[in-house]
Amino acid sequence: MESSEEDGGVPLSRMAEWRDVTPLRQDDGPNPVVPITYKEEFRETMDYFRAIYKADERSPRALRLTRRAIHLNPGNYTVWHFRRLVLEALNTDLDEELDFIQRIANSNSKNYQLWHHRRWVIERLGSNARSKELHLIKSILSLDAKNYHAWSHRQWVLQALGGWEDELDYCRQLLEQDIFNNSAWNQRYFVVTRSPFLGGLPAMRASEVRYSVEAIVVNPNNECPWRYLRGLYKDDIESLVNDREILSICLKPSQELRDAVVALWTSDTRPLDADLATAICDILEHVDSLRASYWIWRKNKLRIAA
Amino acid sequence: MATRDPLDFDVGVEEDEDGAPSPSSPLSYFERDRHVAFFGMLYDLMPYHYQSQEINRLTLAFFTISGLHLLKALDRVDKDRVASWVLSFRAHPINQAELKNGQFYGFHGSRMSQFPPDENGVSVCNAGHLASTYCALAILKTVGFNILTIDKESILISMRNLQQPDGSFMPVHLGAETDLRFVYCAAAICFMLEDWSGMDREKTKDYILNCQSYDGGFGLMPGLESHGGGTYCAVASLRLMGYIEDDLLSKNATSSIINVPLLLDWCMQRQAIDGGFQGRANKSSDTCYAFWVGAVLRILGGYKFIDKIALRGFLLTCQSEFGGFSKYPRELPDLYHSYYGCTAFSLLEEPGLNPLCAELGMTDLAALGIL
Repeated sequence: MESSEEDGGVPLSRMAEWRDVTPLRQDDGPNPVVPITYKEEFRETMDYFRAIYKADERSPRALRLTRRAIHLNPGNYTVWHFRRLVLEALNTDLDEELDFIQRIANSNSKNYQLWHHRRWVIERLGSNARSKELHLIKSILSLDAKNYHAWSHRQWVLQALGGWEDELDYCRQLLEQDIFNNSAWNQRYFVVTRSPFLGGLPAMRASEVRYSVEAIVVNPNNECPWRYLRGLYKDDIESLVNDREILSICLKPSQELRDAVVALWTSDTRPLDADLATAICDILEHVDSLRASYWIWRKNKLRIAA
Repeated sequence: MATRDPLDFDVGVEEDEDGAPSPSSPLSYFERDRHVAFFGMLYDLMPYHYQSQEINRLTLAFFTISGLHLLKALDRVDKDRVASWVLSFRAHPINQAELKNGQFYGFHGSRMSQFPPDENGVSVCNAGHLASTYCALAILKTVGFNILTIDKESILISMRNLQQPDGSFMPVHLGAETDLRFVYCAAAICFMLEDWSGMDREKTKDYILNCQSYDGGFGLMPGLESHGGGTYCAVASLRLMGYIEDDLLSKNATSSIINVPLLLDWCMQRQAIDGGFQGRANKSSDTCYAFWVGAVLRILGGYKFIDKIALRGFLLTCQSEFGGFSKYPRELPDLYHSYYGCTAFSLLEEPGLNPLCAELGMTDLAALGIL
C-alpha cells in the first residue's frame, strides 16, 4: 500500500530502506551542452531511479520511487513507463492509481504523459470505469473548459467505452456558460457526426442549423457558430448557398451588409453572384482592416473567375 | 521558467514562488543582443527551473543552438563539440535483427534514459524518441555536420516500428500518445535523411487528412478541435512529403487533398485584434502561434496577407528586457517561446536574422546544409 504522503523531502540516502542500493549517477560526458543545475533532491531521486530502472526492480519501493520522480519531472516518459511495469508486476489496485493520477493532475493538467498513463489504466479497468472517468473529465473542464488534453481524453473514452447519451446535452450546457467556447462547439460537431444514437449529420442537420443560426443572431461576432454552420454543409455547400432563408437570418445583424445586399437585389440589373461577393469583399476590406490584404486578394480572385 | 516538448503547445510559464512578472513597458525594437545573451546563457548553463525538462535535453539544446543561428550568433557554439555530444545520444542496435524488435534506434533525448551497454554489449533500456531524433538531426545540420554519413538505415527501418495502423506515429516504443506532432517529426526525419523508407507515406497522408476539422484547421488527432500547432504539423508534413506544392496560393493552384480555401480562411482569422496570433478560435494570442500559424501561411504562400505591423507590435509586448520572449505580454521569458518568438521575427524578415525554413522550423542555411 503506497503511502499517501510524500516522503517529505527526506534524502533517500538517509533512508534505511534504500541502504542496499547504489545510486547511479547520470553520466553527462565531458562536454555537455545546456547543462542543468539540478537541485539536490532532483539529482538524488533520479540517481536512485536510474539504479532501480537498470536493475529492473519491480517492487513496492520502486513504485514509491516512481511517484517521487514523477512529482519532480512529470514529463519524464521513462519514469511513467517503468511505473506501469511495476504496477503490472505488483498487480496493484488500479482504482487507487486513478486517484494518484488525479492528485498529480491538479497541478499538471496539461501534461501528455499523465493523460496517456490515465488512458492505460482505464483501458485495463474497462467500461466499468466509464462514467467515473467522464465525470472526472467534466470536473477538469469545469476549471478550464478548453483544456485540450481533457477533450482529447474525453473523445477517446467516448469512442472506446461509450457514454454518448448525455454528451450533446453536456455541450449545450457548456455553450450556455460560454457561447464562445470553440472546444464545446467542436465537441458538438464530434457528437453530432459520430454518436451512434443520433443518426449522423443528415439526420441532425436541420436542428443543428437552427441551433447555430440562433447563436449567430445573438453574437454575430462569434466566429464559432459561423464555422459550425458551414461545417454542417461540409460536402453539400450548394444547399447552404441556395438557402435564402438561412442567409437572410444571418444577414440580420449587419446593417451595412444588409444595405449592400438589398441594393443589389433591388437594382435594375439582375445581380451576378460575383457582384455580391465583390461588394462583400469591399465592405470587409474596411471593417476587417486587419485582413485587408486578404480581402483584396479574394476580390481579385473573383474578378479572374468571372 | 519551464518548457516542455518542442511541440507541446499551451505551455504555461512557471514563476518563482515570490515572483510576479515584471511589468516593464515594451521595448520598441527587436533586441537582438539581449536575445543572443539569453540563448547563450542557457546554452552554457540552465537554471534548476528547467530540471523537469531533463528528459528533453536535446530539445533544449536545439532551441539554444538554432536560436543562436537565427540570430547570426552561431560563433558562440563549439560546433565539433556539439556534434560529438549529439551523436553520443544515438541508440545503436547490435545487429540487423534488433531493428525488427519493435524499438526505435534513433536518438535519446537525455542521458537520463540512456544507459551504457552491459558487459556483453547488450544495450539496456533503449528509449530512442522521434522528437529527440528530429532535434538531434536539426542540431547536427545547424552545426554543419553531414547527417547523411550516419547510419540512417537503422533509424529508418526501426522508425517503421513506431507507425500505427491508422498512420499515426508513437514517439517511443515504450508507449505514448500518438498524434500529429510525431507524424511531423517522422516526416521531418525522413526529409532530412532524404529517404522515405521510414514510413508508409500513404497511410501517413490519410491520417493527416483525417485530422482536418470542419472549420478548415487541423486538430492534433482526428475529431479534435483545430489548433495552430496541429495545423502546422499537418501542413508542414504534407509539404515535406510532397503532397502539396510550395506556395500554392501564388500559383493559383488548388490542392486536391486538403480544403485550402477553408484552411487559409481559418489561418487568417487566427490573427487577433491585438495583432498576435491565437492557437484556436476565441483564445488569447500567444507568441508561439506567430510561428505555428505564420509558418503555415508562409508554406501556402499566404503570409503576405497578414498585418505584419500589428503582429510585430504584439510580439514586442512579449519581448523580455531579460532577453527572450514570453507566451503572453509582459511575463517572464521561457526558452520555448523565446525560440518561436525569434522564428516569428525571422518570418517577418527582421533585419539581422537568418531566413527561416518554415517546413523544418530552423534556418534555411541549416536546412540546406550550408555552414
